[in-house]
Amino acid sequence: MDLDEFRSGLDAWLDEHHDELVATSHDPGDLAADMAHLSKVKRMTFDAGWMRWGWPERVGGLGGSTLFRAYLGEALTGRGLVEPGVYSMTEVLAPTMIDHAHPDVAAEMVPKLLRGEETWCQGFSEPDTGSNLGALACRAVRDGDVWRVTGQKVWTSLAQHSQRCVLLVRTGTTEDAHRGITALFVDMDSPGIVVRPIVTMHGREEFCEVFFDDVVVPVERMLGPEGNGWTVAMELLPFERSTALWHRGAYLHERLDTLLATAEPGALSASEVGAAWAKLFAFRARSRMTQHRMASGDKLGPETSVDKILLGTAEQTIFDLVADGLAEDVVLGDDAESVRWRSEFLYSRAATIYGGSSEIQRNIVARRLLDLGADR
Amino acid sequence: MTMDRDEQELFTATVRATVAGAGSAAALDAALAELGWVDALEVDPRTAVAALFEAQGELTATSSALGVVVGAALGVGVEDGGGLVLPTIGHDDPPGRTEGSCVPVRGLGLPGLLDRSRATVVATGADGALHSAPVDVAALAPTLVAGLDSDLGLAVVDVECVSTAEPWAAAEGTWDEAVAAGRRALAHELLGTMRTMLRLAREHALERIQFGQPIARFQAVRHKLAEVYVAVEATEAAIDAAWQDGTPASATLAKVVAGTNARIARTHCQQVLAGIGFTTEHDLHRSIKRSLVLDGLLGDARTLTTKVGAELLEARTAPAITPL
Ligand SMILES: Cc1cc2nc3c(=O)[nH]c(=O)nc-3n(C[C@H](O)[C@H](O)[C@H](O)COP(=O)(O)OP(=O)(O)OC[C@H]3O[C@@H](n4cnc5c(N)ncnc54)[C@H](O)[C@@H]3O)c2cc1C
Repeated sequence: MDLDEFRSGLDAWLDEHHDELVATSHDPGDLAADMAHLSKVKRMTFDAGWMRWGWPERVGGLGGSTLFRAYLGEALTGRGLVEPGVYSMTEVLAPTMIDHAHPDVAAEMVPKLLRGEETWCQGFSEPDTGSNLGALACRAVRDGDVWRVTGQKVWTSLAQHSQRCVLLVRTGTTEDAHRGITALFVDMDSPGIVVRPIVTMHGREEFCEVFFDDVVVPVERMLGPEGNGWTVAMELLPFERSTALWHRGAYLHERLDTLLATAEPGALSASEVGAAWAKLFAFRARSRMTQHRMASGDKLGPETSVDKILLGTAEQTIFDLVADGLAEDVVLGDDAESVRWRSEFLYSRAATIYGGSSEIQRNIVARRLLDLGADR
Repeated sequence: MTMDRDEQELFTATVRATVAGAGSAAALDAALAELGWVDALEVDPRTAVAALFEAQGELTATSSALGVVVGAALGVGVEDGGGLVLPTIGHDDPPGRTEGSCVPVRGLGLPGLLDRSRATVVATGADGALHSAPVDVAALAPTLVAGLDSDLGLAVVDVECVSTAEPWAAAEGTWDEAVAAGRRALAHELLGTMRTMLRLAREHALERIQFGQPIARFQAVRHKLAEVYVAVEATEAAIDAAWQDGTPASATLAKVVAGTNARIARTHCQQVLAGIGFTTEHDLHRSIKRSLVLDGLLGDARTLTTKVGAELLEARTAPAITPL
């Protein structure tokens, strides 16, 4: 299978199954409906083989280039069949499991994520620890063959729909900073876990507070050895800034296309449309190079911060166009399309916050890519 | 036909050394002829253009190669390419208009035009047909200008009536393709100027001590440099996508991205270099001036951005771009 074959085969399959794959509800407030639809699309694409390409055989994949994954997500988001935010968790968490989980755990669990039988979440941020991830405080204490976890996470996307969580916990002292962190793969139905959804400004229960009270996690569920959590996090974040962002770029392209077709003549300024288009072009060009580097086996690292900065800027520029060009719909509209534009505009404000804020990305660029030395 | 990777690297290094070693535009033109750069342009246009124009931008060197690149797309021979008259700053239409026997020409001559006997003028008629003809340089009355960047040696051409010995022949290729080739080259050259600005600002940030520490410790400085780094990387990517795609539309986008990002580089690097960067004792001013002129050639970022946007608004759709 090469990319052209994959592309034409998938395109034909998507054309053929379009009616089954397209979402019936477009209510941004109804996350449960989105999640159910996502599961269905993942199951169908997995069973037809498409979702399995680009993943190793030992986790239920069919092998082959990671470009297949890039194209599958591009096609699904670009055709508006899935929402890229909820779809992105697969690209963020599956590679981490493949690289760091015990092989048996990865072999058992990853297919469930790929096939849409399960949803997983990422428990990094805490009330007192956002950007400064190395200071996290959610504690795990070793008790024979298990870890006992007590503490709190916050802004955990999709936690209320998740069966598992990739969780960062403190196993060393606070003074150990990033060296005292361990990553665990936790069953969300474990006794002692309480999940409280939070309504975001875009009108969705997108993320949650998650409380842990003496939650038992078997040691086989460690991702790598004790104290390896920082490595897991640092290797996970580039995935959050690579394939998932390529998919987001396809979605932005589709939204801009729809905006151009929808906006009244005269509602948009040519110079602003041109500027947004150039930003999307540059972002996609960059992300494309990243997809090819990943496919050729390069290990992704701090250079993906550039992708994230470009995505954040492009996304906000495009949705600023929406806010200006469809102002009446965004401000007053209560019909389904207006509600969707409003929700998407508001969500775009988070593009410079999640996955490491744009300031944190610039810190990384300055330190790691420009080699400017420590800042203090 | 193309070069393999080793050949590309060797060629790029050779071109770079040639650009660094040539003291003037005339010397560089001569050295490029000796090196066989034009043959490379035919065999592997991307490598030839990237190597030369990035080196020119980085080292603020110049030549008449832009005319060769634009001319090649119109079937103008190498000899005459360097004498091709380009549209003037802020314009991207053919510099001549064939309206009867008298052809008005308004444009820019590249370095060395005054030393040539023959120039090449491209003109359009009322019907849009594209013509080109060799013209006596004297008939164009070019005026060498110092302007913003006096090292560049540009000449302004502005004549009401040019008559030619040879008749105006139909040009090969299209003006859009020719401009696209020029825009890709200019995007590479702008990228070169940005890299040099970033290098100078970075070195300064690490060396300059204020408040008892290198200014590179201050986040306000770090974030400016980080933005320039992102601007450089984005420009590289946009140029790559333009070559992959090969159409005039993507070449225009690459020039827009390069021109827009060059402004970011100029602004932030100037600020980081502050007083010393404001003097002619430091090299920064060269890159700043060069990059401003390059932005103005074959359509500046602002004009092209509006043009691109207007096309999208007209089409009411966003065409497919950057396939995987
Ligand atoms: C939609 C959404 C989904 C999310 N999903 C998840 C998830 O699934 N899992 C998860 O763990 N987290 C998630 N998050 C949390 C996200 O990772 C954090 O919001 C982010 O890391 C920033 O942390 P903070 O909000 O605490 O801001 P803070 O760290 O408090 O920062 C506040 C401001 O200060 C700036 N700042 C902080 N430190 C520095 C510095 N050193 N230099 C310069 N500026 C600085 C920041 O850039 C920001 O502008 C999500 C967030 C959003 C918005």
